[in-house]
Amino acid sequence: MIEEHTAASEEVAQAKQAMAASKEGKPTMHIKVYSPFKTYYDETSYSISAVNATGPFDILPHHHNFMTLLSPCVLLIRPLTGRAEQRIRISGGLMHVKADKVTIFLDI
Amino acid sequence: MSRLQEVAEQQIAMNTIQNLTGVFEGLASMRIAAVKNQVQESQAFFREIWHIYQQLRVDSLFRFGRTNQDDIIKKQLFIVITAEGGFGGDIDQRLIKMMLADFNPDKQDIIVIGHHGALLLIQQHVSFKKYFTLPSRDKNINVRPLVDEVRRYESTAVFYQTYVSLMVQEGKRIELQSAVASQGMAVADKASDEVISEETYIFEPSTYDVVAHLESSMTEIALSQVILDSKLAQYAARFRAMSMAKDRANDLVDELRLTFNRTKRHIQDERLKEMINGIRVGSKS
Repeated sequence: MIEEHTAASEEVAQAKQAMAASKEGKPTMHIKVYSPFKTYYDETSYSISAVNATGPFDILPHHHNFMTLLSPCVLLIRPLTGRAEQRIRISGGLMHVKADKVTIFLDI
Repeated sequence: MSRLQEVAEQQIAMNTIQNLTGVFEGLASMRIAAVKNQVQESQAFFREIWHIYQQLRVDSLFRFGRTNQDDIIKKQLFIVITAEGGFGGDIDQRLIKMMLADFNPDKQDIIVIGHHGALLLIQQHVSFKKYFTLPSRDKNINVRPLVDEVRRYESTAVFYQTYVSLMVQEGKRIELQSAVASQGMAVADKASDEVISEETYIFEPSTYDVVAHLESSMTEIALSQVILDSKLAQYAARFRAMSMAKDRANDLVDELRLTFNRTKRHIQDERLKEMINGIRVGSKS
C-alpha cells in the first residue's frame, strides 16, 4: 500500500513537471548519470549531448530506444527552464535510452 | 620508592594503550559503516545493469566479455584475496588452507591479492602466477588487470573473507560466473517480460560490442564487490582485535591501580613502623 502511494506520488510529480514543460511547449525526459558509488545527475531535462564511436550526438524526448557505448567526452545536459546547462566530464560509459528515460552508467 | 614510580609509569603507559586501542576501535567501526554503505550502493548499480543485460537476447552464455577469437587456457583460475598485513588473526591461514585443499597445479593456477597471502604461500612452497597488492582505497578499485586474467581462463573461483557479523568473519569460495548470475537473480523475473533486440533498439557500435562491454563491466563490479566484502571482513577482524586489546588494557589498568595503591600503603606502613620503633627506642633510653 505504501509502495502504491509512493509510486502514485512520483507519477503525480512527473505529471506536474510534464504539464509545466508542456505549457512552455517543450517535451521533457528524465536523465540519470551515475556510477557504482555516486549519482552525478538525476533530474527531468530537455536534452543531452554526448559522443560515441560514430561522433557527437543529441538525445531529445521521444527518441527511439537506444543503447550505446560512450567515448570520453563532456556530457552536456539542458535542464528545465531557469537552470544553467550541466557539464559532466566522463571517461566513457554506457547510455540506455527508453521511453523518455535516459540512464548513463559511468565507471564501467 | 622506586617500585611505586615503576607502577605509576606502567599505569601511564597502559592508559595510553587504552586510549589508542579505543581510537583504533572507533576508526575500524567508521570504516565498516562506510564500506557497508558502498557495498549497498554498488549492488543497486549492479542490479540495474543486470536488468538491462537480462533483457538482451543474444545467447544464453555468460562469456566475461570474451570474444570468440580469444585463446582460453584450459585450466581453472584460483583468486585468493587476503590482507596486506597484521591484525587479521588466523583467517588468512584458514583461507589458504581451504584453497590448497582443492588445489592441483596441473588443473589450477593461483593469483594472490594481498601481501600476507603471498607470504603464506611462499612459506608452504606453493608457486603462484601473479601477485597484486590489496587496494588501499575503498572506492573505484581498478580490477581491470584481474578481469584480463579471468578472461584468459576457462573458469574462475575466488577465495575471500566474508563479513558475517562484527564478531564473525569466515572464508568463502565462489565460482565467479555463478556469483555474477546470483547477484542478478533478484531482478531476473522482472526482466523476462521485456526483450531488448535489434528489432526494438538501435545499438552503437553493435549489439555484440554492447553485450561484451556489459559482461566485462559486470565481472569487474562483481570482483570489486568481492574485494570490498573482503576488506569489510578485515576491518571487522581489526575491530574485534582492537576491542579485545582495549578490554585487556582496561583490566590491566584496574590491576595496576590496585598494585599502585597497595605499594603506596605498604610504603606508608613501613614508615609508620620505623617511626613507632624510633619512638620506642627513644622512650627506653
